[in-house]
Amino acid sequence: MRSVASMALVALPLAGGMTSAMAVGDVELGKYLSGECVTCHKAAGKVEGGVPPIVGLPEDQFVALMNSYKIKERANPVMQTIAGRLKDDDIAALAAFFGKLPTTTSKR
Amino acid sequence: MNFNRRQFLGGGAAFTGAMVIGAPAVFGQAKPRVVVIGGGAGGATAAKYIAKDSSGAIAVTLIEPQAKYQTCFHSNLYLGGFRSYDSITHDYGALKRKYGVSVVADRAVKIDRDKKDVILAGGRKVPYDRLIVSPGIDLKYDSVPGWSQAAEDTMPHAWKPGAQTLLLKKRLDAVPNGGVIVMLAPPNPYRCPPGPYERVSMMAHALKKASKNKSKIFVIDPKDTFSKQALFQEGWEKHYKGMVEWLGPKVHDGVKSVDPKTNTVVTGFETYKNVALVNVIPAQMAGAIARDAGLANASGFCAIDPASMKSAVDKNIYVLGDSCIAGDMPKSAFSANSQAKVAAMMIRGELTSSKTFDARFTNTCWSLIATDDCVKVGGAYEPKDGKIAAASTFVSKTGEAADMRKQQQAENLGWYQGITADIFA
Repeated sequence: MRSVASMALVALPLAGGMTSAMAVGDVELGKYLSGECVTCHKAAGKVEGGVPPIVGLPEDQFVALMNSYKIKERANPVMQTIAGRLKDDDIAALAAFFGKLPTTTSKR
Repeated sequence: MNFNRRQFLGGGAAFTGAMVIGAPAVFGQAKPRVVVIGGGAGGATAAKYIAKDSSGAIAVTLIEPQAKYQTCFHSNLYLGGFRSYDSITHDYGALKRKYGVSVVADRAVKIDRDKKDVILAGGRKVPYDRLIVSPGIDLKYDSVPGWSQAAEDTMPHAWKPGAQTLLLKKRLDAVPNGGVIVMLAPPNPYRCPPGPYERVSMMAHALKKASKNKSKIFVIDPKDTFSKQALFQEGWEKHYKGMVEWLGPKVHDGVKSVDPKTNTVVTGFETYKNVALVNVIPAQMAGAIARDAGLANASGFCAIDPASMKSAVDKNIYVLGDSCIAGDMPKSAFSANSQAKVAAMMIRGELTSSKTFDARFTNTCWSLIATDDCVKVGGAYEPKDGKIAAASTFVSKTGEAADMRKQQQAENLGWYQGITADIFA
C-alpha cells in the first residue's frame, strides 16, 4: 500500500488541478461509468481476494490511481484498458461518485 | 394490467417505501413497463439496474423459469474441484426485495411484437413497453452426427449450467486411470471462447489430483486456432504433460459420427472406442424465444444497434448477451453484464427521459489452467462502423512469472464475487 500512498502524493498537483472539474463532476455520468467498475469492485461491501475496494476512496487518491493506470505506470492490463479511455472529466466524475458512496458494509 | 399490478406488488414487499411516493397513481397505464426474458448475466443485470436507477418509476418484470441459477462462469472451477456447486448457485431474492423487480417463475414461449405482449407457458400475457430478450444460447443438437438431445445424458455438453454441470462432474470423477476423455469443441461463434480449453485444463487437473496420470484427453476441434491457444498449450505441457492432445481440423478431418450407445467417436483420422467420457460441445444459436420472434438473422443470432443494444428489427426490443451479435465482444457473462448496463441506461432514457451517455463496453475473461496459474484476456469496446468494435485489447503472455499468475487467480475469484453481487445482490 506504500506505493499507492506515494503515488497519490506524487499526483496531488494533478488532482488539485482537477478540483474544479470534480466540483461540477457529473453525478449521472459517474453513476453510469461506475457500472464498468462494479463488475469487479463491489459497490457495497468488500471483495475478498485480488480486487481492491474503491468505495469511499479519497477523490484525490482515486484520480491519482486512475491516472497512474492511464499512463501505464501501474501494471495491471485490465485497469490500463479501463483507465486508458477515461477522460479527465470521466475520472473526476467517478472519483466523486465512489468518494460519496457509503463505505459501511450493507446488510447483503 | 391486472396481472402486472398483482405481480409487482407481490414481488416488492420491501419496496413499499419507494412506492408510497407515487401511489396510487403510478399503478395506472402511465407507469412504463419493462419486461426481461432470461435471468442470467444479461437479463438479471438489466432488470436490477433499471429497477434500481429508476427508483420505482418503471415497473420491471423478470421472466425466468428457474428459481436457482448456476453460473456457467466458474463452473469449470467446480469441475476442477476449486469451487463448490453451492458457491456457483444464486437466486433472485435480492432483485425482488431490494429493487422491487417482479420475478415471474415461468417460461416465455412467444413474443407478440405487434401487441407488445410476452406469452408465458402458463398462458398468461405480460404486456411491455420495452422488452429485453436475454435467453442465452440454444444448442444445435443436430450439429454432431449421431448426437441428440436424448444423448446428452450419456454424452453431456454441460454448456448450459445446472443438471448437466453435475452430470459432467460425476462422469469425470468416474473416469478410471488410463481412461480416455474426448471433447468435441464447438465451432464459432459460441458461448465463452476460452471455456472449452479451461475445461480441458480443469479435467486434467482433476485427473492428475486423483493420480489418474495415465488418462488422456483428446480435444477434437473444428477450429484451426482457439482463444488463448498459446497460453493453454504452454500450460498443458507444463502441468499435464502427455495428458492432453489437441487436434485441429486439418489433422482429424472432421467428426464423422458419434455413438452414444457404445461411447464411440469417429473422426476422419481416428476412431475412439469405449471412451470413458465424451463431452460434446455442439454448435450454438440464439435462444428459441429470440429466433421464433424473428429477431435473429440467418446466422442464428440477433443483430443489434451497437450504440444502444436495441434490436435491429424492433424498436421496442433490446437483445443482450449470448443471443446478440456483439461484434468484437466475445459471448461472455462479463460482456452480457456490460451490455445490460448500456441497455438499462438507454431504456430509462426512452421511458423516463433520464440522461444518457455514449455506450461503452468492457470484457475480461480469466481462465484457470492449474492451481495458481490463471491467465486473462480482455478489452474495451465501443460502437464503431455499425458494430461493437474493440478499442483496445490485452491478453496474458506465455512465460509469465508464477506470482503474476497467482495474483491473476486472486483477481479471478474477486471478479466472481464482484460480478455475482452486481447481478444478483
